Amino acid sequence: MKARFWGVRGSIPVPGPQTNRYGGNTSCVQIDADGMNPIIIDAGTGIRRLGKDLAVREFGEGKGVAHLLISHTHWDHIQGLPYFSPLYTRGNRLHVYALRRDTHLRAVFASQTESPYFPVSLDELVADVDFHELGDSQRFEIGPAVVRCTRLNHPWVALAYRIDLDGRSVVYASDTAPFTDILFENEFIGQPPAPGEPVDPSKAALLAAMRDALVDLCRGADLLIYDTQFTPEEYREKPHWGHSTPDDAIAIAREADVKTLALYHYAPHRTDDEQDAILEHYRTALRGQRLQLVAAYEGLELPVGGPA
Amino acid sequence: MLIRFWGVRGAIPAPGPETNRYGGNTSCVSVVGRKGQLVILDMGTGVMRLGHTLLTGEMGKGQGFASVLLSHAHWDHIQGFPFFPPVFVPGNRFHVYGNAHSSDLLEGILEGQMNPHFSPIYTLKNLGSNIHFTPVMPDESYDLGGIELRGRPNPHGHTSALAFRLEEEGRSMVYAPDAGYHEGGPSREMLELYRGADILIHDSTYTPADRATRLDRGNASYAEAAAAAVAAGARHLVLFHFDQDYADDVVDGMVHACRGELDRIGGKSIALTAAAEGLEIEL
Repeated sequence: MKARFWGVRGSIPVPGPQTNRYGGNTSCVQIDADGMNPIIIDAGTGIRRLGKDLAVREFGEGKGVAHLLISHTHWDHIQGLPYFSPLYTRGNRLHVYALRRDTHLRAVFASQTESPYFPVSLDELVADVDFHELGDSQRFEIGPAVVRCTRLNHPWVALAYRIDLDGRSVVYASDTAPFTDILFENEFIGQPPAPGEPVDPSKAALLAAMRDALVDLCRGADLLIYDTQFTPEEYREKPHWGHSTPDDAIAIAREADVKTLALYHYAPHRTDDEQDAILEHYRTALRGQRLQLVAAYEGLELPVGGPA
Repeated sequence: MLIRFWGVRGAIPAPGPETNRYGGNTSCVSVVGRKGQLVILDMGTGVMRLGHTLLTGEMGKGQGFASVLLSHAHWDHIQGFPFFPPVFVPGNRFHVYGNAHSSDLLEGILEGQMNPHFSPIYTLKNLGSNIHFTPVMPDESYDLGGIELRGRPNPHGHTSALAFRLEEEGRSMVYAPDAGYHEGGPSREMLELYRGADILIHDSTYTPADRATRLDRGNASYAEAAAAAVAAGARHLVLFHFDQDYADDVVDGMVHACRGELDRIGGKSIALTAAAEGLEIEL
């Protein structure tokens, strides 16, 4: 099993020389294994190039099947889907999985491409698109792989996914705030709380349970891909945005005895040089420890659990 | 008028080294009038950087005002809106002109973008600034603080996209970002809108070969842009809204070919430029 990164950016795509090396496309990761249909996690703008890559194989002939796990439907996680070329070849089939809240998934995705926003509606796509509605915490199978999910701490919703195959495992946890200062539920949060101030006890208990479930999901994983949008200074300014820092990711990874942590979902303003410095800083901090640290970039292929 | 390009791409942002020179951001152009009036043409991802530069001025103090002209509501023309920092600053005011039959419908289009399924903003009402909406009607003109605005819809696939003309003290520019002309090119009324423009920023999404296989997309080739410029007697044609798959060298080739096309069809005197992020043109 391997993970291929097609988009590593959060919030909005950021073209320009300052993102040439890590990449400016929004979130998209492919999980591939021999004998398994591709599993794609999130459909940010990175999925456009993934579609081209797939189209040279059975997806070009209308015989492809892919599974798309959506962490949540914020724009940066779905905006590439209408540019995923296999959807325009008859015979291909895409299974889409996401948490259902108050609206059927088909209706949510249909409204992304309805008039006047996009010229091709969901109903007009010639490929077959099947929606699979998930709850907060669920286990299901995709071919030989076992998938589990748990709820994250993000405005509206987000899910983390774990994929287990042949004794190897990868977890994708984006987007989430840490579980200390704020519990995201249904409301819009205009004013940030002050990080470090006590949280209402009932909310604190829910946050603790959410975090425990995430640590459980990550337990012993070979690879953990984690939202690290912010530096600690940026997080203190924007705790209500629903994103984490590398410190938060490292704390979860170490508690869950994860082998490799991939920093992911970078802020749009983060330049390549800044991201290099962030990686270097945390690698130095982790020197001598078992946890391996990488910073995801477009084009990176990571074997999950080493060569088979 | 000072024209600046912040995003010149169509369809979807195209990051990567291969788009570094022309830029990978989706459509956004700013115009500053002689009295400092700010007009923003479309809000693709390019508008994010424009917003950051504006924060150093009145927009940063909540004393800013801009007219925002939206050609249509396809994602590549509105997706930068929630990432335009000045809309979050209380006190700033925006007047949005767009392609809808009523101001409520126009507001509803942007409201749909903020829906909590898609955006942590939840609703336009959570933006701190004050936003007004006006639908643009053909044959009417609108006063943007001394800049005269007129607009008219071009065919664009199954829908339409407004072309805008801005005039100030005898100088004129036209912005026609998505133009899927039927056979025969722009309508007579549209040519009147373009007529004699000092600058014609025109949809040039495709090479003629790609246009021929993508007629239903509703976008023009550089050859159609050249023909429109000649027919309208424009002085300076600016190619704009490039396909997301065209690397910089492909766009270089389009400019070269378009120069030849202009010369061939009677447009030898028409200046030609390809829009690029960071390009400025003073009128």
